[in-house]
Amino acid sequence: MTRLLSSALALSKRLLNLIFSFFYSIGEIVDFFLKCVKYFITEKFYFNIFLKQFIKIGFNSLPVVGLTSIFTGMVLALQSYTGFSRFSAESAIPNVVVLSITRELAPVLAGLMVAGRSGAAIAAEIGTMKVTEQIDALKTLSTNPFNYLIIPRILAGIISLPILVIVGDIIGVLGGYLICVNLLNFNPTVYLQNTYNFVQFLDVFSGLVKASVFGFLITFMGCYHGFNANGGAQGVGQSTTYSVVSSSILILLMNYIITSFFFRL
Amino acid sequence: MRKKKIIVKNVSKSFKNKVVLNKLNLDVYESESLSIIGESGSGKSILTRCIVGLLKYDDGSIDFGKLNNINTLSDKEKMNYMSKFGILFQNSALLDSLNIRENLKFAYKKNSLKKILNEVGLPQSILEKYPSELSVGMQKRVGLARAILKKPEVLILDEPTTGLDPIIARQINLLIKNLVRKKKITTITVTHDMESVYEFADYVAFLKNGIIEWYGKARKINQSKNSSMIKFIKGIT
Ligand SMILES: Nc1ncnc2c1ncn2[C@@H]1O[C@H](COP(=O)(O)OP(=O)(O)O)[C@@H](O)[C@H]1O
Ligand SMILES: [Mg+2]
Repeated sequence: MTRLLSSALALSKRLLNLIFSFFYSIGEIVDFFLKCVKYFITEKFYFNIFLKQFIKIGFNSLPVVGLTSIFTGMVLALQSYTGFSRFSAESAIPNVVVLSITRELAPVLAGLMVAGRSGAAIAAEIGTMKVTEQIDALKTLSTNPFNYLIIPRILAGIISLPILVIVGDIIGVLGGYLICVNLLNFNPTVYLQNTYNFVQFLDVFSGLVKASVFGFLITFMGCYHGFNANGGAQGVGQSTTYSVVSSSILILLMNYIITSFFFRL
Repeated sequence: MRKKKIIVKNVSKSFKNKVVLNKLNLDVYESESLSIIGESGSGKSILTRCIVGLLKYDDGSIDFGKLNNINTLSDKEKMNYMSKFGILFQNSALLDSLNIRENLKFAYKKNSLKKILNEVGLPQSILEKYPSELSVGMQKRVGLARAILKKPEVLILDEPTTGLDPIIARQINLLIKNLVRKKKITTITVTHDMESVYEFADYVAFLKNGIIEWYGKARKINQSKNSSMIKFIKGIT
């Protein structure tokens, strides 16, 4: 009986600890975010670093995003053909492809790809700078690491992701087009006409809003975990993992929240 | 005659349950060269990080000139405060994504790069190289150049010769000696290397168990009766 009680006590203690550390890290993250906002408003903006990061995160991710989108568009066309041909609704395929790509698949897949690619790289780079005292060195050289390292990366993420997604939208639709025209004998002009007439501003726009939010989540989580890395190479590795896992989960969560917001409009 | 520059008063610092500094007292005097010695892990780096404001101490106070208890400085004042220090970090801490010229630019204050490179014994050609292309000894020289370029009020050297072979270590020691003696700059050197102590320290502080166990003139270090310090010095020479 007493053993049961004591193990229950230990368990609840553990649980309390877990809850406490959860709220503690939320507090830390909010604090980190507020610092970013504050220093962005009050201190120097390093435009050349922003530009460098914009190329790194945006331009260099084009091949990955392009490949993901084209295959997704192609698969989407094939799968919807399988379904729609059962009730002779093949003509709706262009509509399904463009809707799914712009509203959902291009932003989410681009987000996840960039989280793995750039989010991890950011966490590793900033984490290494942290554990090798490069960030401390910056501080003593009158350079605010938030302005020099973090804010340019986050802004680059917020701005480059929507651009990537626009490219992904176009390539994804192209993927569907290629399958439908070459394999399923659609009329090319009709396909494009269908796509163009059907898609609405809000479809594309909601995808771009998502992309921006994902760009923020990816770069913010990369910076946050890198900045809080400690304990040498192992700590850097851990921060990379945390960054990719947390931003991927947050992307899926925010995707749902944003979708349901636009659903009501 | 001697003028106090930094006063460390009853400073304590712990990590979780581990006490690193335990009500430590230490005065640093203007234009003097102080060496902090002690076993690896005794808290020498933590102490210097507290002094420069990179780390908050839990208790006590550190005063710098007219500034009282630097823990209470605002973020902005802290940035300002830190810029008074020139620091050579334990692993040099050069920004590895930038070449040497860009690295030095952070500390640049109108003084000529040529002159400073000369002072630390580096060729001009090094400016376009990246830190990873340099030997550890050269990285230390660049770190040293970056630290003195900004004309700091206090120079902090964290293990300037650790990890170097004896010949390079000797060169670095002589280099620092020259700088310290010539510029009369207030210097705190954390070291394992007794050669550094003999070459350029005016005073020595021995850190153990979270406090300064022995403090005195570098010349008188061998007359000390502190047994753990004697053991420490014998152990490494
Ligand atoms: N961030 C940290 N978290 C926990 N312990 C730390 C941290 N930084 C340093 N320590 C501990 O503090 C002690 C003193 O470290 P340090 O000042 O680096 O020693 P040294 O005298 O070799 O420079 C070490 O035992 C180290 O384990
Ligand atoms: Mg140390």
